[in-house]
Amino acid sequence: MDMSKYRELFLSETREHINNLSQQVITLEQEPGNRETINALFREAHSIKGMAATMGYNNTAQLSHHLEDLLDEFRNSGDIPSATIDYLLEGIDLLDGLLDDLQADRQERSTEAFLAKQPLSVASRDGKSPERPVAVPDDKIREEPLEEPDTFQILIELEKGTPAAAARGMLILRELEKAGNLKTCKPEMAELREGSPCEQIQAWVSSFVDKAQIKETLLKISGVANVQFIGDRRKNDRRRRLAGGRTIRVRADLLDQFVNLTGELITHRNMLNRAGKNRNWDELNKALDSAGRLIDDLHHNVLQVRLMPLQSITGRLPRIVRDLSRNSGKQVALRLNGTDVGIDRVILEEITDPLIHLVRNAVDHGIEEEGVITVSAGREKGLILIEVADDGKGMDPQILRQKAVDRGLVSQAEAHSMSDRDVLMLVCKPGFSTAEEVTETSGRGVGMDVVKAAVNNLGGTLDIVSEVGAGTRFQMRLPLSVAIIKILLVSCAGHALAIPITRVQRTLDLQTSEIEVSGQHRVFRHDEEELCLYSLAEMLNLPQAATGETTWTILTEVRGRQIGLQVDGFLGQRDAFIKPTGFPLNLLTGLNGATVEGDGRVTFVIDPQSLLENTP
Amino acid sequence: MALRVMVVDDALFMRNMLKDIFVRAGYEVVAEAENGEAAPQLYQDTKPDLVTMDIVMPKKSGIEALQEIIARDPQARVVMVSALGQDSLVLEAVEAGARDFIVKPFKEEKVLETVRRIVGQD
Repeated sequence: MDMSKYRELFLSETREHINNLSQQVITLEQEPGNRETINALFREAHSIKGMAATMGYNNTAQLSHHLEDLLDEFRNSGDIPSATIDYLLEGIDLLDGLLDDLQADRQERSTEAFLAKQPLSVASRDGKSPERPVAVPDDKIREEPLEEPDTFQILIELEKGTPAAAARGMLILRELEKAGNLKTCKPEMAELREGSPCEQIQAWVSSFVDKAQIKETLLKISGVANVQFIGDRRKNDRRRRLAGGRTIRVRADLLDQFVNLTGELITHRNMLNRAGKNRNWDELNKALDSAGRLIDDLHHNVLQVRLMPLQSITGRLPRIVRDLSRNSGKQVALRLNGTDVGIDRVILEEITDPLIHLVRNAVDHGIEEEGVITVSAGREKGLILIEVADDGKGMDPQILRQKAVDRGLVSQAEAHSMSDRDVLMLVCKPGFSTAEEVTETSGRGVGMDVVKAAVNNLGGTLDIVSEVGAGTRFQMRLPLSVAIIKILLVSCAGHALAIPITRVQRTLDLQTSEIEVSGQHRVFRHDEEELCLYSLAEMLNLPQAATGETTWTILTEVRGRQIGLQVDGFLGQRDAFIKPTGFPLNLLTGLNGATVEGDGRVTFVIDPQSLLENTP
Repeated sequence: MALRVMVVDDALFMRNMLKDIFVRAGYEVVAEAENGEAAPQLYQDTKPDLVTMDIVMPKKSGIEALQEIIARDPQARVVMVSALGQDSLVLEAVEAGARDFIVKPFKEEKVLETVRRIVGQD
């Protein structure tokens, strides 16, 4: 029997069961002897076993079977000793790892070591041996995993003023060649041989070696200041591939609504046909009107299908906080609010690691001895707000300023002229936290810079609110959907360009006479504040139109600071279906994607934030 | 076993300084040479785990010595020691197979970091 079509369903359901398992074990730890929880745990393990055995995933089946046996024993006695809780959690972690293997099409990892050290009397029980193999159907559906190297782009920055930079660059390229296949690079080896200047190296590499490991190796080379990975073609490909065969569960009433809506759309097509034939403009307009409403409804419903509750990723948090507080000797309680809010599954996937990182950070740096971390979610205008708050000591902008200067991220003068809010955002700069602060928990690859980049990539924003003595709040504001967003159309040097509405705070018709020049910048006053004015045309290297009496300006926020963005005019706002641009256009910073107009023209979507953040 | 190092430099001052750094780190300095001419034979005789090689030396330059050492032992781990402003010489040395380079004036940390990286790799 071909089981492969059930694979996705197996993976998603099992992941849910594992999340439940881990949540219930934590509950059990807090209320030992809760028979109902033990029963629930047993059922979860039992379900996983059944599914895994059916799929022919031997190790997963055997491990869940083992856990089931263990739990069964306690089901009878009604009590689980606390030492066993750790053992159970370890087993759940292992299950999670096995599932990762299956998801990535790898061989299941070994469970022998874990099974061998079972702390309890399971083996001694009469009539049941934990080694009893689980029946597994014969026709193996798994194929040998096809190992492919990862292909990625890497950016290596050298320290300023590195001596013999070209020679340094050659050593770095040599290191990359050792790690895998060096496809293209800039500067090239030949240029370096000629002694070309070298401040950074950009290279496409395909390699079997883990990226984190490559990064670590490169960072050890003296003179290497920073290593980042820019794009990952294969990862995206794989995601697309996975998405192709992925199954999701949809509420039946939602499907009914689809049928209803489709029915009504068909009726409307007939109305439109008739009105068109009769050249009855009144009727045509009326039908167009209601067809528009139907399409809105359909859009809304389609989004609903893609929504998943935040719960699906917060399930792991209680466990993480428990482990962290245990390791750090702190007493940390976790509160979850509003986790039933629905979020587009693509967004959910992208923010899983950032969210975990924020929670880790809160335990590590926010809470001192004892405290509460609150993760809450809710709708805020057209956005989703997810907040990770702690009631710890808060961040002191004065200390951060000093630290940023010490790290060489900003000059003394810059640090003093920055607002407290800007200073808080400095923690998102790569290189802000240093090795001595990287604890076992928060130092795992993801830094605040990565969190911020992930949020920005989704078209969202990250804010930090902190008060000394009153704790810190990290706020992620995310769009409801990544595919269909509201855009503001502007004209710029004869082109129509789109800007996501989430980036627009408001539009202004400035009197050109209100604009002054201060130093190298043009500035204007808004709400008692002096704001810098940038020209979109200039940023895009397009010819600038002569300025008339009115300067059309978008108020937006970059690095936590309000700025004005000058355009040639506003063309209106609308919903747009955004498609990602393909290679090599996807390498351009500031270009978020493109949308096709009614007449077939392509309009590019510009993200002023990343455009400006990458402009010196 | 302690790491066995060979130091090549025409200045006694530099040799002693490097030697002290290595000894403090628990390495064994098995050979020293004060010019490029003696270095290849000494390398052959002592087979050290790592060589630090000054670039500008009398009789034979560090780069020539490096080339000879690499010609006989392509796996040789040679780290060049150069002064600021010798970029083209350093480039030449790296092309000739030097594993890394240290620029004078150097810090103890940097020297050891570089050595550890090179030795840790193979």
